[in-house]
Amino acid sequence: MIEFLSKQLNWIDVEYWFYIFNDLSLLYLILPFFILELIRYAYLKRLNRDLILDSIANIITFGAFLITEVFLGILAITKVYFWIYNNFSLPHLELNWTTIFCAILLADFAYYWEHRLMHRIGLGWATHTVHHSSPHFNMSVAYRFGPLDAILPIVFSLPIVMLGFDPILVLLSEVFVQVFQTLLHTEIIGKLTKPVEYIFNTPSHHRVHHGSNKQYWDKNYGGILIIWDRLLGTFEPEEEKVIYGISEPLNSTNPIKVFFHGISRLYSKLKKTQGAKNKILILIKPPDWEPK
Amino acid sequence: MKSSTLLFRSIAILIVIAGVAHLVSFTSTNTDVPKGTTYKANNVPIDNSETDYIIGKWSVSHQSKEFTGNIIYEFKKEGQVFSAYIYEYVDENGNNQKGEGTKILTIDKFDGYKGTGKYTVTYQEQKYEIKCTIDMIDENSFTMSYDYYGYSDVETWKKL
Repeated sequence: MIEFLSKQLNWIDVEYWFYIFNDLSLLYLILPFFILELIRYAYLKRLNRDLILDSIANIITFGAFLITEVFLGILAITKVYFWIYNNFSLPHLELNWTTIFCAILLADFAYYWEHRLMHRIGLGWATHTVHHSSPHFNMSVAYRFGPLDAILPIVFSLPIVMLGFDPILVLLSEVFVQVFQTLLHTEIIGKLTKPVEYIFNTPSHHRVHHGSNKQYWDKNYGGILIIWDRLLGTFEPEEEKVIYGISEPLNSTNPIKVFFHGISRLYSKLKKTQGAKNKILILIKPPDWEPK
Repeated sequence: MKSSTLLFRSIAILIVIAGVAHLVSFTSTNTDVPKGTTYKANNVPIDNSETDYIIGKWSVSHQSKEFTGNIIYEFKKEGQVFSAYIYEYVDENGNNQKGEGTKILTIDKFDGYKGTGKYTVTYQEQKYEIKCTIDMIDENSFTMSYDYYGYSDVETWKKL
């Protein structure tokens, strides 16, 4: 077993497997599943104009997000990550199954913390609120991103590079976590078996995360594993029926409004707030924080 | 949950996961004893004149869109393997620029005449480690060759 886990692998093979899951899953898993969701909506007589326009807005925000992600990603990987990797990292790890497994675990743990921060600081919520603002819950919502959503993951992945993991592997692992996360955005799948629900993040756990019901606020931040939430005190099971969206609904399917509403709300709040110190605190304190 | 509890639990998680990765990586490196290298009882490599002459600086002629000139590599003995790092760039006009110290070649099996290892190539901003072989022409030069999915080359390394 240890021989298998420590057997040195070739990059070309590793990238191939990540390509199958990270890139091609859109074609063989996500799109078919979304079509199935649309059929279900039609069967339940919930397929209406608002849902279709909302889904289109989601895809458009993803396009805008992708541009910043690709630009920042290339810049971070080619410049910052490799510079850190070559100058401030623990001994470089060789490419084997253990390294890949640990890189995915660490990327998932980093995702937990950056996701938690996106919810718990004003600036983070200004961009991440876009993802939560849809009143629907389907695969297209997974692609609903805010303008600054690409920044925090890059910052939170740097420690993994410093621990000796290859920057490319870190990037591939991050995308792997994101793809897994995408698959959780569905109402079709109910609760899974107890051991699975205990260890992994599931559609049920993620529905809770998207709930605007008070008891579901700021819960279930995990990407692949829900054990991070259990260990760090943010777990909440799905009990009450989930009402999707945010406490202050957006009520719009205009992609530009959707994409920028968080930033524009933050800007209005900053404009109304007196004093430079309070303005800074609004950016770093939880989103519901108000100056005394 | 208290912030200190969050901090300690998070650090513990990082240490455990990264620790496992390093432990497995370290164990596997230490079990691959290369041919041609002899060891003392405490696993410290002893000098081996048959193979250690590869240690030092080597020059390789390079021609590409980005750079034309010589790249100087420095071979170091690291436990059981020989690793070559980029030491310096010397362009066609004789201008020097310090290399970034990136590891480019690892020879893990070397008998003094032939060796095998891994060569790092960068293609479309991604790094690939591909299998390579070295063949000594004489004590002051060797060829390093690789052939990987149709991507092949032979470089001549000359001792400085």
